[in-house]
Amino acid sequence: MFHWLEKHPFFFAVGVFIVIAFAGLVEILPSFAQASRPVIGTAPYSTLELAGRHVYIKNSCNACHSQLVRPFKSETDRYGHYSLSGEYAYDRPFLWGSKRTGPDLMRVGNYRTTDWHENHMMDPASVVPGSVMPAYRWMFTNKADIDTAFAEQLTVAEYFQVPYNQPVPMKDGSSVVVKMGSSVAEANAIALEEAKAIAADMRDQDVKDAVERGEIPEIVALIAYLNSLK
Amino acid sequence: MNKLYLGGIIFAVLMMILTYLSVGSSKGGLNDDIVNVLAITGAIALVIITVFVVIKYVRQMQVDTATGDLADENWDGIGEYNNNIPTGWGIMFLLTMIWGMWYWTIGYPVNAYSQIGEYNEDVAVHDAKFEAKYKDIVGERLIEMGESVFLAECKVCHGLSADGIDGKAADLNVRIEKQTVKHVIENGSNYKLLGFEMPMPNRSGLMNANSGYAPITDAEIDTVSAYVANGFSGEGEDIYAGTCALCHGQDGRGIDSMAPNIRDYDIALVTNVLTYGKKGAMGTMPKFDRLNDKQKEAVSAYITSISK
Repeated sequence: MFHWLEKHPFFFAVGVFIVIAFAGLVEILPSFAQASRPVIGTAPYSTLELAGRHVYIKNSCNACHSQLVRPFKSETDRYGHYSLSGEYAYDRPFLWGSKRTGPDLMRVGNYRTTDWHENHMMDPASVVPGSVMPAYRWMFTNKADIDTAFAEQLTVAEYFQVPYNQPVPMKDGSSVVVKMGSSVAEANAIALEEAKAIAADMRDQDVKDAVERGEIPEIVALIAYLNSLK
Repeated sequence: MNKLYLGGIIFAVLMMILTYLSVGSSKGGLNDDIVNVLAITGAIALVIITVFVVIKYVRQMQVDTATGDLADENWDGIGEYNNNIPTGWGIMFLLTMIWGMWYWTIGYPVNAYSQIGEYNEDVAVHDAKFEAKYKDIVGERLIEMGESVFLAECKVCHGLSADGIDGKAADLNVRIEKQTVKHVIENGSNYKLLGFEMPMPNRSGLMNANSGYAPITDAEIDTVSAYVANGFSGEGEDIYAGTCALCHGQDGRGIDSMAPNIRDYDIALVTNVLTYGKKGAMGTMPKFDRLNDKQKEAVSAYITSISK
């Protein structure tokens, strides 16, 4: 067998390739699979949060804001615990970004609140003097696209087994259930329920009225998304 | 003279001339700078040594012949001498084996690099330094430290001068604002300001002793709110004494395990707000529990100092 291989360099090369490739599979795949599993405390996005994520992507927030805290003392002091790969398990696509014109937003939900975001999106310089971030006033009038968010939920639940409507373990030992509607109407109702909780903490009367009428402005969805980043 | 030596000397001289031309004409050049002269000398030495070592081995290949006893084995006319390996090679081989055993058992497993490991070491070193540097910090320096923490973490909502940016957050230059007092009296509160759950009832649970324990009225709320917000001066002292003083104390500085200080800031109060966050009349304040105890104390000292 080996004598034969020595006389046939092509098949010898094929054999070498197979051996090395197999070693690679054994070494790399298990740790990769382990690292990409959701960490405890990471829950799938709710309907409203997903709609907010779409607003985030639509306005290209990731061009100026990263979502990746590197393991450096200077970064963890400012942003909190460094990022783990499992925390991105439900991000499709991930929004790591590559440039920080603004600060990292990986854990912004821990240290900013609904009312702060409201002030900030309306006029960033009013709360952060000297900020170069533009105002995003249209988010207060544009309506969030709940139907698309629901479509994404359905897709990822079907094809990637994202655990909607089932308990997801949290860090403190409890578990949460992230609801996904069974129809477009139900999804809209669930999103509206979440939006009401957010709007209750907001001050803009037009936004409050809109939510009261059953409409969801983009700002509400975006704030829901930002608050979920922890 | 051998043709090779001649070629080598010409090559070395050429290299030196080229080097001199390129360095000599560049800015700075060889003027008086010992480092430049040393570098050039080193470069010239390297060129000369390299040229002559190469020539030596080329010559050796040209003239050397192998000697020794041939081994019995013979592969298609290619034989092998029975010579010992050179001593240097033998020593290197043994050293490689020893190094291999060390690396396999100790070198790699014990010293393996990990990014998170480096991060943990960084943090440990930094924390130890922080601990040592700020262990005994008091007075002015504590306030200065608090100001720098404030400017890094708090100013985003409370503003550079801690005035709350036109009502976007609490004005920390005063202990409490009128609208906050009103909000708390009307809605009650449970902000863990004492470090644990100690709910304050809403207006239906607040009786005024002066009016025969009737629930507090709108007018009374307005008056007493102004009284508290003005630093316990003006009208409303009797309402305060009859309603609020029972828990918050006659002077408003709180009672242990009962109610917080509402007259001025103190370390326990600010630390608890930073640790647990709160949801007040103006909005929600997130918790800042990533600050360490010393930093929280410093922020308290700073806020206490500006609110006087």
